[in-house]
Amino acid sequence: MGRYPRWPIHFALIGAGIVMLVPFYWVLKTSVSGENIYAYPPSIVPRHIHPFFYIDVWYSIPFARYFLNSVAVSMIAVVCNVAFNALAGYALTHGFRGKNAVMLLFLSCMMVPFQATIIPAYLITGKLGLLDSWLGLALPQCSTIICIFVFKSSFDAVPRSLIDAARIDGLPEWRIIWHIMLPLSRSAIATNVILAFIWSWNNFLWPLIMTRSADMQTLPLGLARFLSYQEDTTGALYAFCIMVLAPGLVLFLMAQREFIQGLTSGATKG
Amino acid sequence: MLRPRTRQALLLWCFLAPSLAIFLLYRVIPVIWNLVLSFQYWSPLKAAEFAGWDHYEDLWFDDVFWQALWNTLIVIASAPIGIALALGLALLVNADIRGRNVYRTIIFLSYPLMTVAVAIIWRWMFDERVGLINYAARTFDLVDKPIPFLNSFTWALPSVIVANIWQMLGFYMIILLAGLQNVPRELHEAAAIDGAGAWHRFTRITLPLIRPSLFLAFVVGMLNSITSFDLVYVMTGGGPGRATEILVTYIYKLGFVQTKFDDAAAVTIVFFVLLISIAWAANRFTGGNAGAVETE
Repeated sequence: MGRYPRWPIHFALIGAGIVMLVPFYWVLKTSVSGENIYAYPPSIVPRHIHPFFYIDVWYSIPFARYFLNSVAVSMIAVVCNVAFNALAGYALTHGFRGKNAVMLLFLSCMMVPFQATIIPAYLITGKLGLLDSWLGLALPQCSTIICIFVFKSSFDAVPRSLIDAARIDGLPEWRIIWHIMLPLSRSAIATNVILAFIWSWNNFLWPLIMTRSADMQTLPLGLARFLSYQEDTTGALYAFCIMVLAPGLVLFLMAQREFIQGLTSGATKG
Repeated sequence: MLRPRTRQALLLWCFLAPSLAIFLLYRVIPVIWNLVLSFQYWSPLKAAEFAGWDHYEDLWFDDVFWQALWNTLIVIASAPIGIALALGLALLVNADIRGRNVYRTIIFLSYPLMTVAVAIIWRWMFDERVGLINYAARTFDLVDKPIPFLNSFTWALPSVIVANIWQMLGFYMIILLAGLQNVPRELHEAAAIDGAGAWHRFTRITLPLIRPSLFLAFVVGMLNSITSFDLVYVMTGGGPGRATEILVTYIYKLGFVQTKFDDAAAVTIVFFVLLISIAWAANRFTGGNAGAVETE
């Protein structure tokens, strides 16, 4: 557009970037050096780098067990999310009796945060006999309304003629989804995978309520417990943070372009 | 043999079934169950008994409840601050500059982080002795002696709010950016030719056109800040005293620490009414077309 100096914009954005990145840097630095837990004034550059705290985390808690639980729960959530949301999103691109009621139900469910359901959710999961299990941990997150709408808007963009041609060729509905809709909705799938993974990987309240045995604890629980008996006095705590944050960050950075694209189109056109 | 139309409808309902079942189990039934439970005396080992308005009456005289409600309202009131900041950033990264995708990614980066870890990081940023914030404040001579942010009745809640905004900023920004990208460029150019200044163009063109995005950001922000259980639980545990107790942490403590499920259900209902009324008010405020944003 018009001519205006660019440097104030860069200046402001670099400032914002620093505010966003400094906490990361600080944690990373302490996790490899153990500085700044007692030392004052802090040093900006780590003086002596060593992996001691990472090894310490590995041996002082059952990290592998927590990791396995977190991965298993997230995998269940991700697979169910993509499958269920794609099916529901596809159904919503059609007109059928009762569709408005379903839309209304979905939109009102969006206004019910999980935190407002914890007591009955706990009792219901208990009745299903799923307390303290992977499936029970994943179940409340196995379908999300925002992601259904992300799929719906992506499917809406597929040309009608393509679907009609497939129908005339006698393709059953599930094969239309599998062979036509999904290959054309890569960014919707990426959005679903990332959101479902992040939400279940980071979930804290639900595992806190419903796990009982030490064997079923997930990483966020392990992290909070580690904090409660170590206090903020060891670099291992920050090494643990890095180990827990890394998978989500890597996944996000790998697919961030599609993700941001899918999110923005779903949020406005839904 | 069913008619093709009926078969088709049946099939679509089958496609919807798994999602509907999950929402029924974990959204619809819990809301109803909460409502029923809040009018009963009940605990896991006791038969239910009708309680009338007793639990609500208890809440009326419960100081902790009022404190938690007040803190929740403050947290909600902070959501517009984050959204205003995010709007500024969205305008900046929407400008035609080099490397804007990098800026977008960096600013968004905090959203996918595990909140428990974010809370631990910020506990430490706010630390009295070695925290970075106190260090910066002392370096620039803003304070005489370090502030114990998270142990102070005045500062604990604002500190939690800062951490919450830090984490949500990128998410708001992306929502608003999507809205900004839908504003036709020609409108701005035409207005500029007619001599409208940048501020006028922003308030008369941009703001009205991104209203739906603003509403969405506000609802998401409100839902998120009202439910920032993880941050509060890990950063302060509701303390010092009850200075950072919010409704969600109080529900958790009543229900799962003191096993008073019925009292917790009553708090949940109040929480829920609060949520719905604010969303309704926000919808009115932004022009009453929120449904249109989502269903189109």
